[in-house]
Amino acid sequence: MEGLSWGEFFEFFHYAIAATLIAGAICPLVGAFLLVRRTGFYGIALPQFAAAGVACGFVAMPLLERVLGVDLGASEMASGEHSALNVHLAWAALFTFGGLTLLTLARQGGTETARIAAAFAIASAATVLFAHASPVGDIYVHELLRGEILAIGLHELDTLAAVLGLVAIAVVVLHRDLSLVSYDRDQARVLGLPVRRHELLLQFLTGATVATGVMTVGPVVLFGFLVIPPLAARALARSMVGFLGLSAGLGLASGVIGLALSKELDWPLGPAVVVASTAVWMASRAINALTRR
Amino acid sequence: MTTRGPLIEARDAAFGYDGAPVIAGVDLAVHAGERIAVVGPNGAGKTTLFRGLLGLVPPQGGVVERATRDVGYVPQHEQLDAVFPFTAREVVELGALGRFEGANRFWRRITSASRELADRRLDDVGLLDKAAQSYADLSGGQRQRVLIARALMGDPRILFLDEPTSGVDRDAARRIVALLAQKSERDGVTVVMVGHQFDALREFASRAIWVAEGGVKDGPAAELLSPLSIDRLLSGSEEAAAWKD
Repeated sequence: MEGLSWGEFFEFFHYAIAATLIAGAICPLVGAFLLVRRTGFYGIALPQFAAAGVACGFVAMPLLERVLGVDLGASEMASGEHSALNVHLAWAALFTFGGLTLLTLARQGGTETARIAAAFAIASAATVLFAHASPVGDIYVHELLRGEILAIGLHELDTLAAVLGLVAIAVVVLHRDLSLVSYDRDQARVLGLPVRRHELLLQFLTGATVATGVMTVGPVVLFGFLVIPPLAARALARSMVGFLGLSAGLGLASGVIGLALSKELDWPLGPAVVVASTAVWMASRAINALTRR
Repeated sequence: MTTRGPLIEARDAAFGYDGAPVIAGVDLAVHAGERIAVVGPNGAGKTTLFRGLLGLVPPQGGVVERATRDVGYVPQHEQLDAVFPFTAREVVELGALGRFEGANRFWRRITSASRELADRRLDDVGLLDKAAQSYADLSGGQRQRVLIARALMGDPRILFLDEPTSGVDRDAARRIVALLAQKSERDGVTVVMVGHQFDALREFASRAIWVAEGGVKDGPAAELLSPLSIDRLLSGSEEAAAWKD
């Protein structure tokens, strides 16, 4: 991309640019709740579950076709067609929600971080084993995990915009309820809020964001946006509303800086976004240290 | 809403967790205007009874009837995680979430009326000047008063407080108890409070519920929380030693 002008960069990669900015502004809203609920590691473990789901799809779809005797489109799974993306999205969602359910059901044993670490190890191993069983799936998942999103198409962008748009509306409307349920569950119950429903909604928002994010912008960008901008925002925020707004703003800024790094230094966009988010985080820590003195 | 009978009544109720009762045979009635102290040794089931009366723990046996839903709840300030960057005003405004009406039940917006009410409640507890300050940066006593202000957002008929003077210094504890006495006298709010500071509770409460050995004992606070009675009820325990000190 070094030889491209900014105009050409926008012209050739406008879908990827739009996807990066949408994910940059909205994923941190969900990540902010993961952070304050002290489940930030979900941001690492759940994308791995989504990747395992995609890899599983490559193994399971041909088997399902054989058992059911119908064409489910298994031969076109690596084609990049809309229908293939939908199938991958379904498998990613299935495994993401499965992972979330497992982590919720296993709440009784061990510490939260130990459970998430174990879940990450299991999901990573499952990804490798499923990919090993399907050579086509192996190549596809490898590309997915690298997080090169510049070749993203209109269908991916539409899907990302639709899902994350709904996630953003839910968080903006319900942020106080979701905050109270996370902060003081008993108080929420005394006030008559549907606590269990809100907790399920929060899990659903997390699962939908992760599954869609993995399948469109990839796990690396998702890591960068889910957890790091809220960490940066927490260092600067002086209120809960400010924290959510700053998380989204710093995520967006990380996306812009990541795009610039990717274009100017010819870096893959995924890692460039993570580098940008990390730089924003370090800057916010420095500002926090200076202003608290 | 006015109620002639008790606001909350438990008849032969049992409360516990995972099918195992912690306390049983609870016969209690909470009437309007009462100030009730729930006391007893550590681990005896004070919090279980408190949560049972509040409706957070369903009875495992017997019956609990509530004549009002206008209930305020004040947890221990140490229970709330400081990682949430709430301001004091934001914490109080959370108390408005159960009061949304009309279209706002869907849109969940804090209206200017709710914002003004939150400021009035902060003023009531003497912390309006701290409204924009980070809740986590306040002292233990100030945090506890912010939580009382939050509970008052719903104009409750009963206020349940879980050890409101725990982890705060004596001056702050006195201010909290004085604030509760004022709410009780001026507004007729019924107060049910779990606590350990017997001297302050004896001055404040009209009635005490002693929780020990899987059951409850109910009586006038002046009698049940007298030094002699406390000494007898806590005989040999660490709390008795602390009480004598």
